[in-house]
This record gives sequence, structure tokens and C-alpha cells, in this order.
Amino acid sequence: MVAMMHNPLRPTSPLRLVDAVPEPSSAVPEAIIRVEDLSIVFDVPRGEVIAVDRVSLAVMPGEFVSLVGPSGCGKSTLLNAMAGLERPFEGEVTVAGKPMLAPRPDIGMVFQQPHLFPWKSVRRNIAHGPRALGKSKTEALRIADDLIDMIGLTKFASAYPHTLSGGMQQRVAIARALANQPRVLLMDEPFGALDAQTRAVMQDNLLELRDRINATIVFVTHDIDEAILLSDRVLIMSAGPGRILRDLSVDLPRPRSSAILTDPAYLALKRDCLDLIRTEGRKAFEQMEAVT
Amino acid sequence: MSTGGHNRATMAGRLSVLVGALSVPAFVGVWELIARSRIVNAVLFPPPSTVAVAVLDWIHSGQFFGDLSASLFRVTVGFLIGTTGGIMLGVLTGRFRLLSSLLSPLFHILRPIPPIAFVPIVILWFGLSEAGKLFLVVWGVFFTVWLATHIGVQKVDRGLIRAALMLGTPRRQMLSEIILLGALPYIVVGLRTAVSISFYTLVAAELAGAFAGIVYRIEIAQQNMQTGQVMGGLAALGLLSFVADRSFAAIAERAVWWR
Repeated sequence: MVAMMHNPLRPTSPLRLVDAVPEPSSAVPEAIIRVEDLSIVFDVPRGEVIAVDRVSLAVMPGEFVSLVGPSGCGKSTLLNAMAGLERPFEGEVTVAGKPMLAPRPDIGMVFQQPHLFPWKSVRRNIAHGPRALGKSKTEALRIADDLIDMIGLTKFASAYPHTLSGGMQQRVAIARALANQPRVLLMDEPFGALDAQTRAVMQDNLLELRDRINATIVFVTHDIDEAILLSDRVLIMSAGPGRILRDLSVDLPRPRSSAILTDPAYLALKRDCLDLIRTEGRKAFEQMEAVT
Repeated sequence: MSTGGHNRATMAGRLSVLVGALSVPAFVGVWELIARSRIVNAVLFPPPSTVAVAVLDWIHSGQFFGDLSASLFRVTVGFLIGTTGGIMLGVLTGRFRLLSSLLSPLFHILRPIPPIAFVPIVILWFGLSEAGKLFLVVWGVFFTVWLATHIGVQKVDRGLIRAALMLGTPRRQMLSEIILLGALPYIVVGLRTAVSISFYTLVAAELAGAFAGIVYRIEIAQQNMQTGQVMGGLAALGLLSFVADRSFAAIAERAVWWR
């Protein structure tokens, strides 16, 4: 608690101070994201699809966790549940102690597509969140200008989104999500739509950014290199129904850069991941074959 | 060689501009010749010069501006009321499924009935009052704008809505900003169609009986066999709706300002 209060960007919930319900005493710090026995089921024309099957996980404050798995394994659905965009069918998702039933401004999200408001300039896009939360226009624009400097788009502050490249748009989307100073930043394959070069630059940017914002980050990707490079922990998911297969700690030194991509420890880790995913992928494929 | 081809291209371009500029004068000239050639009955088919004189008389008598403002009032006010209602209900039915289930079937039944068909009942309800004329224009405009807005709202990128939700956008702002602006490109198309519809319905409204108005003047002139005046009225109506459409197109281009 005391350690956390040193960080102005991550304000402790006042509720917890007032209620002061003693947690079961343990030396383990309290998880900021807790997923317990979560199942999510979708209705489809031919019945039901279990997108997420009894998943439990915990993310510690300040951690960077990646969810990796084949497409359709439910990793985005799991992330949406953490965002409050998807209701649990069974089980529970809590963020900062409160169950997620609807989106909350202390949780930011970056999607695969930037989804910037096309009618707003870069500056106004970033200021949207603070304005929506009732901050004055001056205050909101000041926050926006700081973030624009941070993402290096000062020259484009008054540009409209469609005039920017994909990478620049995604940087604006990240800045917009950060404008509300979220305690948790959820990222759903944010670099998936970018070309390889831009993606590498964006990954390095995110590594730098992370040191400055100090938010807990959950990052969905199907790119193992990306997951290992960025994360403290990689959760590997299996397909149909979505489950967490393996929880791997990435004990590589920080600060990291793409230079670690040739580190032996990195390569060993990557081999583990690939083996797991390949076996899973084959299983899922055979299941699909069997069904059709 | 290449300069020759270039010259030929510019020649062709200039020629088409010239022909375009001559299109209307040539038409008027041929009309004048035919009407004066005694092949046709000049009383029923007066030459453009006669039409011009009739229009000048119309302006000098002072009736023209009265007619113009009466018609403009009906079109403008009817358009504004009808489109405002159409946009508001379109946003609501596009966004709230229950409301859509309640209203959409009804609107889809009423929409295809040509507004002109409502003239008899409108006369019974409103007599020859201004309210009846406004009602017809509003009725004509409403459904087109409602449908365009309804579809536009449903086509708003779900990603934008989710992004706005994640940023804590309040419900009201979601409707008035994200949904409305997201649907604006569709709404603008509906509005432009509504401009011409408002003129069609104006004709029906004034033919049904009025005391002033451009179409009213056409009808009076017809009863008095003033064919020059009839044609002058038609020309004025054509010019008016042409100007309205063009100026709306110019506004529409700026309405979606971020493009």
C-alpha cells in the first residue's frame, strides 16, 4: 500500500482505504486483475460455442502479461471480459477488487484497429476521455498535448486521423487510452495490422512507454516473439474451448530491445512456446476436421 | 507527336465546353423558331420571348416575390421540421431495438405511399390552411430522412462505439456525438434526397388549393389560358429547386468536414 502510494499515476482506490477489509494475510501482494473460473459462451446458429472455458488467472500490479494462442482461441474474448465488454457466463472477473460488468474509465483499451474518431483531430481524440470524465477543456487539452509529445506526434496535433499512417494512428490510439490514466491497459493485437518494420518500431516504443506510465498491461497477440520481447509473463492458450495451457515467466533482463531476439535464453523459451502451440494447433485442426 | 496529341486533347476539351455553353441558348433559339413558325399554336406553345415578358410582368406586378416567399416558406419550414424529426427518430430506432420493433414496421408501411395521395385527407383535416401544406412537405421529407438516419446509425463502426465506451463516454454524448457524427455521411445523403422531395410535395400542396405560391400561380395562369405565365412559373420552379439542390450539395460537402 505504502509503496503504491509513491506512484501518483496509480492512485489507490479510496474505497479500499475506507472499507479496509483485511485481506487474508499473506506476503503475496494483491492481484489487480483476477479471473476466477471464467467461462464465456456464445450463441451461434447451430448451438453454442464455448469461447472461454473455466479460466483462472491473476495479474499483479505493474505486470506486463501476454495472452498468446492460435486465432479463435478466445484470447480476445478473455480480454474483452477484463474490459467489461463481455459478460461472464460463469465465474467472475475483478479489476482492482470490483467485478467487471461494464467498461470502466480506469481500464484503458487499445484495439487491433485504431478506431479513432474520424471527426476529431489527433489532439481532440486524445482529449476525448478526460472530457468525457468531466475535466475542463483546458485541462483535457493539456493532458493531450503532454501525451502527443510523448508519442512524438507534436507536428500532427491538429491533423485528422485519415491523414496519418497506420502506425501513427495506433500511437494516437494508445495515447488516447492513456489519457484517462488507466491502472490497467488492455491491448488486443494492437500491432497486428501493421507491417513488420512499423511493428518493430512500435514494440520498442511500447517498451519505453511502459517504463513511464507504470500501468498494468495485458497484451493479446499471436506473435510469440512479440509476447516474449514485451512481457514479464506469457500465458499460452489452447483453442476450442479456450483454456490457459501454460504460464511462462520471461526472466530476461530489462530494459529490453529487439536485440534479445537472438539471446539463447530467449530462443529456449520461444522453442517451448512454439512446441506447445504447434501441438495445440494440430489438435484444434483435427477437431475441426472431425466436426466437418 | 506528343504535343500534337496534347493539342488535340485540349481542342476536344474546349469544344465540349463551347457546346456545353451553347446548349441552353440553342434550345431556347429552336423553341423560339418553332413557336413563331406557325407550325404549332402559339397560344398553347408560346415562344420564350413571350414567356420572358410574362415573367417580367409577374415580377413588376409584385406578385412574384409574394409567391416566391410563400413557396420558399413552405419548403424550408417543412424541410426543417421533417428532417429534424427524421433524424431524431432515426437515431432512436437505429440505436434502440425495442423502439425500432415498435416503429419500423409502421414507417415501412407508410413510407411507400406517395405523399400526393394524402392531399384529399389533408384538405379534410386542415382545409386550405398553411398547416396542411406544411404537413404534406413534412410527411414527404420525414420518411426518407428517417430511413437514411436509421441505416446510418446501424452502420456506425462498432469499434468506435466500443472505443468511446472504454473512454467513459456518457450515454448522452454517445448518442449526440459518436452515433450522430458516425451516421452523418448517410444522413447527408438522405437530406439531399429530401431537398427534391420537398419540392415535389410543394407542388402537390399548392395544387390542392392555396392563396399564393409559385405553383399556385401556374395553376391560376392555366385557368386564364396565360400559357406564357405557366411556362414562366415552371422555369422559376426549376431554377429554384436547381439552386436549392446545388447549394445543399455545397453545404453537404462541408458537413462531413473531416473528409
